[in-house]
Amino acid sequence: MNLSRPDRLQRLDALASAYALGTLSPRARLRLARAAKVDGTVAAAIRDWEMRLATLSEGAAPITPPPRVWTAIATRLGLGAATTASGVDLPWWARVAFWRSFALTSFALAMAFGVTLFSPDTRTPEQPIVAVLAGPDAKPALIATMLRGERTLTVKVVGAAAVPAGKSLELWMLPKDLPPKSLGVIPDSGMGRVALPAPPDVVLANVPALAVSREVAGGSPTGAPQGPVLYTGKVERFY
Amino acid sequence: MADSAKSTDRSARLAALMARVALGDQPAFAQLYQETSAHLYGVAVRILKDGAAAEEVLQEAFVNVWHHAGSYEAAKSQPTTWLAAIVRNRCLDQLRRRELDTVTMTTDDDDGKEFDLPSGDPSPVEMLLAGAEAQSVRDCVDGLDAGQKQAIALAFYQGLSHAELADHMRQPLGTVKSWVRRGLERLKACLDRAGYVRN
Repeated sequence: MNLSRPDRLQRLDALASAYALGTLSPRARLRLARAAKVDGTVAAAIRDWEMRLATLSEGAAPITPPPRVWTAIATRLGLGAATTASGVDLPWWARVAFWRSFALTSFALAMAFGVTLFSPDTRTPEQPIVAVLAGPDAKPALIATMLRGERTLTVKVVGAAAVPAGKSLELWMLPKDLPPKSLGVIPDSGMGRVALPAPPDVVLANVPALAVSREVAGGSPTGAPQGPVLYTGKVERFY
Repeated sequence: MADSAKSTDRSARLAALMARVALGDQPAFAQLYQETSAHLYGVAVRILKDGAAAEEVLQEAFVNVWHHAGSYEAAKSQPTTWLAAIVRNRCLDQLRRRELDTVTMTTDDDDGKEFDLPSGDPSPVEMLLAGAEAQSVRDCVDGLDAGQKQAIALAFYQGLSHAELADHMRQPLGTVKSWVRRGLERLKACLDRAGYVRN
């Protein structure tokens, strides 16, 4: 056994080098890959050769991959709004510039509306959670309200947020570092209630803002916003 | 000199990014992609000769990097080496799997999937030499016999198997196999002397 060992190591080195270079036949490649799974010596021999050869790989001139590759990676990993690779096309909800343009006005609006929602009776505070959603013109278009102790979200169109014929407005949560999550389609009447699966504190724990996008009638078929975003608003807690 | 200082800087920066990626830092991951994807895509396209397949490999590789950045050890390899090894390995797996799935091996070159490489792309041997970042590594590559160099370069940059090499170089399979084997042995001895692989 001991005598055969140096031979075996030499053979292993030859196989590992051909594996890393890629010259092994498909079947031999599969066999060695299987061996590497159960034998640490085999795995280490392959890894050493991969590293040794990869030191040579700088010689290929770089070719910029299409932007869709990054989009696909970000989507698969559920990377959120904080992540941008510049020069890369990102969906609207992931663009930082988009956020900057809305955050401040939305905050001011929410403050203004929020004040009127405080109950004058301080002994039974209602503890409202409010998001005032506005478009680029900063005019409030919808208000979403919740009470901390109730599992209902009420959304009301307050401005000229008319639902275009054949289209629906869909309300989204925009969780931090995660893709948007639908809260549902806003009824054509402009007033709706959404039953929440848990108290608002839980549902909105990681959700700094809400948004409304225009979707095909009945809402986005994919579970992710497809249409343009029309309104956004910061979630404000008044307690 | 300036070049090697720049490449050391870059390695240090990429290693720092990798460390942050291992902690789930998304902006660091985006930056890592931005700084390395073009090189890695270039590697994949040359081996697979198929843009769509190369995109898929790149996507898989980076998803893998996101989940396994913690297994990268800065003391053992440069970040670009580690990443290139992942991409190369996935390319080779895909290439060989494709062959297994094909009943008859086709050596047909015009199957319409050929990726348009930049015109004036250097030959595999030129790339192999240019790819050796350090002078010591370049010397190791340069020290190989012509046949060895050619066989290794074709395998390395174009993903040819032993059988395909024999076909391409119009040499008996045994000759090509021994060129590859001897060439790699010499390369290893030379690289290890130069202290290139750190274990």
